[in-house]
Amino acid sequence: MSDKITRRNFLKIAGAGAAISAVLTGCGPMSRYIVRRPYTEMPEYNQTGLNTYYASTCRECAAGCGIIVRTKEGRAITIEGNPQHPLNRGRLCARGITAQQGLYNPDRVFGPIFQARGDTSRQARTTWDEVIPVVSDALKSPASQIAFLLGTAPDHLFDLVAEWARSNGAPAPLRYSALASFEGRSTLQEAANRTFGKPALPFFDLANAEVVFSFGANFLETWLSPVSYSSAYGDMRQARPTRRGYLVAFEARQSLTAGNADEWIPIKPGSEGLVALALARLIAEARGDDVPAAARSIDPATVAETAGIEPAKLTELARLFAASEHSLAIPGGGAICQHEGLATAQAILQLNVQVNNLGVPGGVYLTNTEQPTTSLAEVYNLVQKMNNSQVKVLFIHSANPVFELPKVLGFEEALAKVPLVISFATFPDETAMLSDYVLPDHSPLESFGYQRMLAAADRPVYSSIQPVVAPLYDTRSTADVLLAAAAAAGSPLPYTDEVDFIQQMIVPLISAGGFYTAPEIQTFWSRWLQYGGWWVTEQGLDTDISAAPSRSAAFSGPIALEEDKQFHLVVFPTQLGDGAGANRPWLQEMPDPMTTLTWNTWVEINPETADRLGIHDDDVVRVTTPYGALEASVYRYPAIRPDTIAIPFGQGHTALGRWAEGRGANPAALLPAAVNESGDLAYNDVVASIALTGKRRPLARVESREGVYGEH
Amino acid sequence: MAEVSKGIAEKWGLVVDQDRCTGCNACVVACSMENNVPFTGEDNVAFGRGTYWIYNKRMWEGTYPEVAPAFQPVMCQQCGSAPCEPVCPTFAAVHSEEEQINLQIYNRCIGTRYCANNCPYHARQFNFEDPNIPEPMNSYLNPDVTVRRRGVMEKCTFCVQRIVAGRQTASAEDRPLRDGEVTPACVAACPSDALVFGDLSDPNSRVSQMAQNERQYKLMDELGTRPKVTYLKGGGRNGG
Repeated sequence: MSDKITRRNFLKIAGAGAAISAVLTGCGPMSRYIVRRPYTEMPEYNQTGLNTYYASTCRECAAGCGIIVRTKEGRAITIEGNPQHPLNRGRLCARGITAQQGLYNPDRVFGPIFQARGDTSRQARTTWDEVIPVVSDALKSPASQIAFLLGTAPDHLFDLVAEWARSNGAPAPLRYSALASFEGRSTLQEAANRTFGKPALPFFDLANAEVVFSFGANFLETWLSPVSYSSAYGDMRQARPTRRGYLVAFEARQSLTAGNADEWIPIKPGSEGLVALALARLIAEARGDDVPAAARSIDPATVAETAGIEPAKLTELARLFAASEHSLAIPGGGAICQHEGLATAQAILQLNVQVNNLGVPGGVYLTNTEQPTTSLAEVYNLVQKMNNSQVKVLFIHSANPVFELPKVLGFEEALAKVPLVISFATFPDETAMLSDYVLPDHSPLESFGYQRMLAAADRPVYSSIQPVVAPLYDTRSTADVLLAAAAAAGSPLPYTDEVDFIQQMIVPLISAGGFYTAPEIQTFWSRWLQYGGWWVTEQGLDTDISAAPSRSAAFSGPIALEEDKQFHLVVFPTQLGDGAGANRPWLQEMPDPMTTLTWNTWVEINPETADRLGIHDDDVVRVTTPYGALEASVYRYPAIRPDTIAIPFGQGHTALGRWAEGRGANPAALLPAAVNESGDLAYNDVVASIALTGKRRPLARVESREGVYGEH
Repeated sequence: MAEVSKGIAEKWGLVVDQDRCTGCNACVVACSMENNVPFTGEDNVAFGRGTYWIYNKRMWEGTYPEVAPAFQPVMCQQCGSAPCEPVCPTFAAVHSEEEQINLQIYNRCIGTRYCANNCPYHARQFNFEDPNIPEPMNSYLNPDVTVRRRGVMEKCTFCVQRIVAGRQTASAEDRPLRDGEVTPACVAACPSDALVFGDLSDPNSRVSQMAQNERQYKLMDELGTRPKVTYLKGGGRNGG
């Protein structure tokens, strides 16, 4: 703490500022500016029997929700949302709540390891003094042959690496997460760019909308920022005394969002673009507007037949959309992750334009947020470079490409051609096992940092990350490792350590008009940590949105299937996120909301189809696509199209610790390498076949409180 | 034991707005992390021995394509006239006169499971095994809540440790408890604000106001258990 702010004043500020019952503290167990005090004045985080609360940011997905961690005697006990944080306003999802199970997981990497690509005869523990020169030598390689793959790494690390790469002529770091790929973030951003002329993620004001059409966007479970969208959903339903929002979901497999919708319209995968155009035509007719050029040649009745729904239903929904004041259409997920995904996303965004629902409450805004992830297409380029031996050094942080990427992409084979692979994983995941070195970063609850690219933030937000406990093991902050190595390699960055870097990055915020300021950085820093970040008090969304006219698009429509032999395949993310959640036992034990299944992978199939094929619950089936196959037990799921099957993503680990390993199957084996125009995985186009294996393996489900193992 | 004849003393109550509830299960996990509820593993869940103080009852309504799940988070209803209490031979299932909730005294419990058999809500959870939480994962266990061993019944307590802590804070500051000051873990987590907790004896509290809603109903009210949990019906054009 600085000398300009006394402890007494600090506590006053803390008391006045925190509108919650707990006093949040600005100096924590990892405070780097140490003041010696007598033993009788114990640090506040170490007083027996007293809770100490720290504000930080959840790093379990890229959304960036603010959290308050309750610690006691130096241990992280419970995690709740930060009530002042503009994104999640005190709320949190299951992934954030179980973050301690990552921190205290017995299967973490305890210190730097020479991993030797999994060759156990050469594996050895090493020391940080020995490995810093290794990293430093690696950074001395020709800059064009150094690659960084960062996954959901915190934004400050991305900024640091990006700065180093810029100043040394290395390729910009990639950020890939399977979750972002399933969400279709790159497509959404590119569609916004083409529709509104600005490459920003759109913000959908769900809370104030009256009629919402969701096309594949599972915003209550995983999509973009599920906590803030869930909160908005609750308000859409019940916060207005006279109006209850109406939600309609168009998707082949009922997700949690579609399950909560007033109407679920099970259209065929691949027909989303056509349905959007048909709606565009019907909406224009209902409003008495000119039919948009792109929709003029569309015959709604034919489209309804192609999509497998009633024509009258389409007309009814279009009238509803046209007649309401704030009608919102949200593109996401599988609807935009197909070969015509970008045009589909544009067609869906155009529905908002048609009803003039731009830049007004209940409508579409544009955020000031950059896209926090890179698309699969860029990872594809990286894999090609690796295959062509153009990558000498690969650094991997917070990503598990061996598990997450479609198997046909051949990442594992390409990895073998990279002379030096350095992983910064906190867990021995599949990719870390195949690395030369594992140099574990601190777990998120032991780290400094910030998140600034919050996909659902309605204002400029920097969300701060601070250690809530002292590091448990011999881990080291990746930012510090890179700074030390860069200095030793003769390409130093002007920062002494990670905290210095963060402080220099946030200096501009002091005078940027946030809800607090300070005369200098040290005082600002203590408030930054205490509040859990920095943001402005007023909503700051771009209201000046104008749209380009809709592009004419010819959609090829859904793929024709051979009935009961071929099926549309839906792969969907769950609470396990990109698979990194699989080692949290409570996320495994938490029932999947729709099926109540736990701890495994299942294949969802419509009961009628299952009857025709003679498939019963818990029968193990083999699912085959042109790209691979897997085996899993069947769950007869009533809310899925009869011509569609669905498999959750996240299980099927061969590493990652005792709770994740050897459990379920990884649908990455079934996915194509194909991408859409904006580089997102085109996973919605996959056609699969299923076959009984004759085996049976009961799934642990909670819907039957009596259990499924029978007499016992 | 609650005295049925004298009418019902009201204190803590919970309202579940099913129109806001998305069924996301954040409450299940939040409760488990706060109350040291053990994870039991795949086999135990398949045996019906998974331990969930709050679970989301998902019931399918309708047939394809007009099929939808109805979500109903069910926890101990903290009955005013609780069927679990009179059947306990060791007085482990007791009624707290002060809080007007139903509590379980773990070190009295001998595991007869009569209470669970008598609970119409499936709210009581039995520990078929000792918790298996390997070091150092036990570090996150909440020191305010007992870790239960094998053979002991357990259930939702409305996070009584938080109620006590809230009252102590208020009393130290010489003021009454404010409405909304005490929140059980499930209520604090709920992303869609579907759960509201508070004092039913205060007619102006948010929970009292919401419990008057025309959409309100109580779970199996006809059994005369006098639950402290009020559900607000969801779905439909006006949420009713």
